[in-house]
Amino acid sequence: MIDFAIYMTTIVCIWAVLAISLNIQFGLTGLVNFGQILPFAIGAYSAGIASFHGLPIWVGVLAGLIMGPLIGFLVIFPTRRMAQDYWALASLGIAEMFRLTMLNFRGIAGGVEGTIVERLSDPRVAMAVSVLALVVSFIVAERISKAPLGRLLRVIREDETLAATLGRNPFRFQVVAMAVAWAMASAVGVLYAHITGFVDHGSFMVIETFIIWTAVIVGGPGRNLGVVVGAIIIQAMSVSTRFVAQWTDLPSDVVANLRLALVGLLLVVMIMYRPEGFLREKKPNYDVKS
Amino acid sequence: MTLRVDEVSLAFGQLQALDGLSLAAEPGRIVGLIGPNGSGKSTLLNVVSGIYAPQSGTVHVGGRRITAFQPDIVATMGVGRTFQVPRLARRLTVFQNMLVGGRGHRGENLWNLFVRIGAVRTDEHSMQERAYAIVRRLGLQDKINELAGQLSGGQQKLLSMGVLLMSDPQILLIDEPAAGVNPVLIEQQIVFLSQLRDEGRTILLIEHNMDMITGLCDDVYVLDGGRVLAYGTPDEVRRDPAVMQSYLGTHERKVAS
Repeated sequence: MIDFAIYMTTIVCIWAVLAISLNIQFGLTGLVNFGQILPFAIGAYSAGIASFHGLPIWVGVLAGLIMGPLIGFLVIFPTRRMAQDYWALASLGIAEMFRLTMLNFRGIAGGVEGTIVERLSDPRVAMAVSVLALVVSFIVAERISKAPLGRLLRVIREDETLAATLGRNPFRFQVVAMAVAWAMASAVGVLYAHITGFVDHGSFMVIETFIIWTAVIVGGPGRNLGVVVGAIIIQAMSVSTRFVAQWTDLPSDVVANLRLALVGLLLVVMIMYRPEGFLREKKPNYDVKS
Repeated sequence: MTLRVDEVSLAFGQLQALDGLSLAAEPGRIVGLIGPNGSGKSTLLNVVSGIYAPQSGTVHVGGRRITAFQPDIVATMGVGRTFQVPRLARRLTVFQNMLVGGRGHRGENLWNLFVRIGAVRTDEHSMQERAYAIVRRLGLQDKINELAGQLSGGQQKLLSMGVLLMSDPQILLIDEPAAGVNPVLIEQQIVFLSQLRDEGRTILLIEHNMDMITGLCDDVYVLDGGRVLAYGTPDEVRRDPAVMQSYLGTHERKVAS
C-alpha cells in the first residue's frame, strides 16, 4: 500500500507539472498548444539519447533542460504569424513528427524498441524529486501569474492587438511564456525517463496531450492550484479504473478504452456546465487609498 | 509632437480606402476627422498606429518617420489610440486594464520577478497610484474591481481612454468617443479631451457627433472616398457647399440657409 502511495504521488506530481506548464501557455497567455506532450518527450528523449549513446547522465539532464525551451522557440518562431487555430494544429503535427522520428530512426534512441535509462532505484527518492519539481514549478508559475507579467500575459490572451497598441510586442511575451513552460515540461520529462528507467515512443502519443488538456480544463484554466487539482482528479480516475480491471475480470484493453471514455465524458460535462473549471481564475481585489 | 501624414494611399482589392491623403496635427490642438462611413477615417487611424502598412506615402511624428512601423513600436514612440468598439481585456478588472496601460513596469520582466523583487514592488506601487488618479478623474473609482466587460458601453469608452493615458502619449488618436454614449458621459469626455489639449498634447478625433466636433475641434478635416474633401475651422467646414453635399446631406443645407 505504501509503495502504491509513493508511486501515485510521483505520477501525480509529474502530470501536475505538465498541467501547470500548459496552464502558463493556455490559461495565462492563450496559446492553444495541442502538442504539450512534445516538451515532455524532448526531456525524456534527451535522457534516452544520452543513455543510448553511452553518455553520462548529466549530459542528458542538461540537454533536456536546454532543448525544451530551445525547441519551443523553434516551434513558435516560424508559426507565429498563424491564427490561433492553425497554430494549434501545427503544434499537434510537430509533436507527432518528433515522436514518429524517434519511432522510425533506430540510430537515435532505439526506435521501436526504445532505450533503457539508468533508473532511480529508490522510489522514495523518485517521489521526493517529483514533489520538489512540482513545488518549484508551482512557485514559479504563481509568481508569474500574480505579477505584472501575468497581468500582461492575460491581456495578450484576451486581445493581442490591444497589447500591441499599448506598446508591447505580444510575440516577445509569448516566447517568454513558452520558454518557462517548456523548461518545466522537459525537466519532468528527464525525470520521468529516470524514474521509469525506459524511454520509448509509446509514452508520448497524442492522447497524452489531451489528458493534460483535460486536467487543465477540469481544474480551472488560469488558476495554478486548479490545474494541479485537475491533474490529481485525472490520475486518480486513471488509477482507479485499473482496480476496476482487477475486480471485474474485464479485459485490460476494454478497461483502457473505458478509462478514455470516462475522461472524455468528464471533459464534455465540465465544458457544458462549468467551463471555468472546478477552481475559477482569481480576480484580484485592489484596495487603493489616496 | 506634430503628426504629419503625407500622400498616404491604401487599397483593399478594388476598394481605394485611402487615396493620397495628407494631413497634419499640431500639439495643443484638437483636429477633427469627419466624413461619411467608408470615407477612410478609421483606416487612417490604423495606418498611423501601425496596424496597416500604407502602399505609398509617409507618416511622421515629431519629425521622425514611422511609416509601417509595428503597432507596439508606434505606441512606444508616444502615439496612443482608442478603438471605435473599445478594445479591453474584458475578463480582467477595470484596474487590471488600467495597470497594463502603463509601460516600463519592471515586473513585466521574468528576471526581475525573481531577482529584483523590491524594484517590482516599487513600480507596482507607483503604477497603482497613477492608475487610481486617472480612474478618479474619469469617475470610475467605484468600479475598479469590476470586470471591464461588465461596464456599460460608455464606461468602456472612458476606461479605454484611461488605459491610453496610463502611457502618457503625446499624440492621441481617438475613434468615436461619443457614439452610443449617454449625454452626461459625452459632456465628461468633452471636458476631459479639452484638458488633454491644454496639457499640450496632439489630438486627432474621429466623431460623428457634430456638437462634439464644433465644441472641441480647432481644425476639421472632412474626408470622402479616402481623400480630404475640405479643411478649416468647424464653422468654415460647416458652410462648405461640397461638405454639405457629401456629408451633411441636402436637408441640412435647407436648415442652414
